[in-house]
Amino acid sequence: MTQKLRIRISFVSIFLLIIIAAIFDFPSYYNQFANLVQSKTKFSLPRVSGKPFLLGLDLQGGTHLIYEADVSQITSSERQTAIEGVKDVLDRRVNAFGVSEPIIQSSRSGDTWNVIVELAGISDVNQAIKMIGETPLLNFKLQNPVTEPILSDQEKKDLEAHNKSIKLKADDILKKSLKPDADFTALAKEFSEDTSKDAGGMLGFAKKGVYVSEFEKICFDELKVNQISQSVVQTKFGYHIIKKIDEQGEGDAREVSCQHILLKTKTPQDIHPVDPWVNTELSGEHLKKAQVVFDPNTQAPQVSLEFNSQGKELFKQLTTDNVGKVIGIFLDGEVISAPRVNEPIVGGNAVISGNFGIQEAKVLSQRLNAGALRVPIKLVSQQTIGPTLGKISVKQSVTAAIFGLLIVSLFMIIFYRIPGLLADISLLSYGFIILSLFKLIPVTLTLAGISGFILSIGIAVDANILIFERMKEEIKRGRSLDSAIDEAFKRAWPSIRDGNISTLITCIILIWFSTSIVKGFAITLIIGILVSIFSAMFITKIFLKMIVKKGNEKWLWMYGVNKRKI
Amino acid sequence: MISITKTRNYWFIFSGVLVAISIVFLFLWKLNFGIDFTGGSLMEISFKENPPQSEDITNVIKSSGVVENLSIQQIGEKGFILKFKDIGEAEHQQMFQSIQAAYKENVAEERFNSIGPNVGQDLKQKTLKAIIIAIIGIVAYIAWAFRKVSKPVTSWKYGIIASLALFHDVIIALGVFSFLGKFYNVEVNAPFIAAVLTILGYSVNDTIVVFDRIRENLTKYYEGNLEHIIEKSIRETYVRSINTSMTVILTLFAILIFGGATIRDFALALIIGVVFGTYSSIFLASPLLLVFEKATKKNK
Repeated sequence: MTQKLRIRISFVSIFLLIIIAAIFDFPSYYNQFANLVQSKTKFSLPRVSGKPFLLGLDLQGGTHLIYEADVSQITSSERQTAIEGVKDVLDRRVNAFGVSEPIIQSSRSGDTWNVIVELAGISDVNQAIKMIGETPLLNFKLQNPVTEPILSDQEKKDLEAHNKSIKLKADDILKKSLKPDADFTALAKEFSEDTSKDAGGMLGFAKKGVYVSEFEKICFDELKVNQISQSVVQTKFGYHIIKKIDEQGEGDAREVSCQHILLKTKTPQDIHPVDPWVNTELSGEHLKKAQVVFDPNTQAPQVSLEFNSQGKELFKQLTTDNVGKVIGIFLDGEVISAPRVNEPIVGGNAVISGNFGIQEAKVLSQRLNAGALRVPIKLVSQQTIGPTLGKISVKQSVTAAIFGLLIVSLFMIIFYRIPGLLADISLLSYGFIILSLFKLIPVTLTLAGISGFILSIGIAVDANILIFERMKEEIKRGRSLDSAIDEAFKRAWPSIRDGNISTLITCIILIWFSTSIVKGFAITLIIGILVSIFSAMFITKIFLKMIVKKGNEKWLWMYGVNKRKI
Repeated sequence: MISITKTRNYWFIFSGVLVAISIVFLFLWKLNFGIDFTGGSLMEISFKENPPQSEDITNVIKSSGVVENLSIQQIGEKGFILKFKDIGEAEHQQMFQSIQAAYKENVAEERFNSIGPNVGQDLKQKTLKAIIIAIIGIVAYIAWAFRKVSKPVTSWKYGIIASLALFHDVIIALGVFSFLGKFYNVEVNAPFIAAVLTILGYSVNDTIVVFDRIRENLTKYYEGNLEHIIEKSIRETYVRSINTSMTVILTLFAILIFGGATIRDFALALIIGVVFGTYSSIFLASPLLLVFEKATKKNK
């Protein structure tokens, strides 16, 4: 391959890279352009779906909380696992808020253990703080023997009256559906209270045993395809109007597909909900600790529970009374395990066995410990940023970045003429590449992160300046333009390399030691430095090589070289 | 152009005076640490229309009974920043409820930071650690990068001089902030650490470019006159140093002007660092290398 060809290929691939990066960065602009092209020329360009930039909490609003964990009650060897347990508890609490990508980390300095929680884009910070800060609560519960609540006479009457009115309404809809021109799907969409409502009541194919018996009888045995049930069908859910759509298969493989409209009735449970679990006296304070052990025969992982003296008594009583029944273990009101009692346990040491993987067993023991060891956490630092402030910051940062880029570009053109212009183009592509890397990796952008990026614009230019200054020097020494370019890149490289590596060293140290704000800065700066080396050493060089022709020697001033000084 | 190596004593005196003044500032006034380091609370509130007087807000907050002392500062037309001791979330709610009771829908809380004193202490220690390790790392890297040109100047000397120059730049930046903290109430917060560390990296970067040229010229032209080589190298690189700094400073000014209050101090710190970083790489580092080399030679 000749050198010329190689340069051309590189040029084309750089050009493509920049275009792809730019489309990836700003898909909405590209899609608008594609729409325009299509409307004018009927030539259809593929559309690109967007991937948004990940904004940190200072830009989209959110809160950064630092909790100090009080581990004074815990022996030092168990602290690490206790903190893991706390993290797990916080993780599950935070998930209840539906925050996208919450960050929960622990950090230790000396004897203090901290847990850091970052919630971005959360609307109700106060509620979150209230919930997160509570000490985990571990409860042992039994299944409630009572399943039907007891209603007063008045309540019974109201319930009957209500359900009667539902029946009337269902009858009415049935009539409508039986009309010759009736649209069953539309009726289902309008009236059904089932989750299948939006699908027009369509349930899809199912075998026997999926539906409650009353429903199954109608669907499988009574209706023919395309027939609608002649009367409303009552199940525990309410009143159904059922239409059979299709059926396939024979014998055990027989499947039917039905469509239905459901009107829900009320049950006594709706009036007085019955908790399926009832509390026992046994709770987290009676549990000394939990740990993963292995079954001596099968080597299967199990979780062992060790109770204190009071807990032993309670647990003995509980297991004696409830052999064959299930004990629900609840952390923060959520069931984490529901083992069956196989035999009375008198010694105070129990194991929960089951088809655990090691990881599952570990998580369970961690959760049990979180409820048992009681690591109180205290909020020691809070940084909350409202969403409007974040938006303003984004706008300000973007303005700063654009102006920064513009001023630098102007400076480069004035000082270095053609190479300056080329450097500007390579700088622009540098910007596009960086932004798409931010999306790809992805990098969470914070205010400090954006300043890191803006600063890296300056650093990217620095490499170009080093090269161009060297180029001027070499031209003045009498080299031809072409060989001056080669020499300049070769000679400038060591100082570009050494200078950037020293900045990289500081960045890596920042990432190791610092708070998340500073980390964001260091990460974008690292990416910026790496890409800037690529853009200066490769993109600028190819551009320069592309435009340099023999005749250009006459116009050295275009390269920023003052002829009289040569 | 004047000879920088010949006039080196003036530059040494100039730098020495600046560093001395900075150290005096730091001793007298220390740094005006913000709540990131000292612990405390910062609340920013904004009003939709007709913002009240500062005294008004102060009284409302005092009436909530949560804090006795607070400072208030207006930012922009409709915003206020309030600072007081660190408080818990319950107290924070109590305080904001009294603000809401007083101004109803007109007021919104833009941000609230409350940092315990231990967290701040922790940050200070971490910062110090990070800076020390960064300097050691950089010196080690330079010594390694310059290992092939240990004649006539041994490579670790480049490292030591580079870190002296960097010490000079950072101390002056700290001195300026000590001054700004005393007279303009400019605070030093977590982003400032990022600024200081960037100055470290930048200063070394700048110094390396000159040293790199010395390294190159030594292998090509060295005939026993180190001073000549150093002078030549400075002359060949100063345009680049100044131009680079110009571009960085231009971007920093963009941040300073358009970047919003939170990162303005950060940009300011960097500007100071970059200006002195450039100065020290041209006028201080290389002449120092010469002096250092001469002094150690004499002792042998």
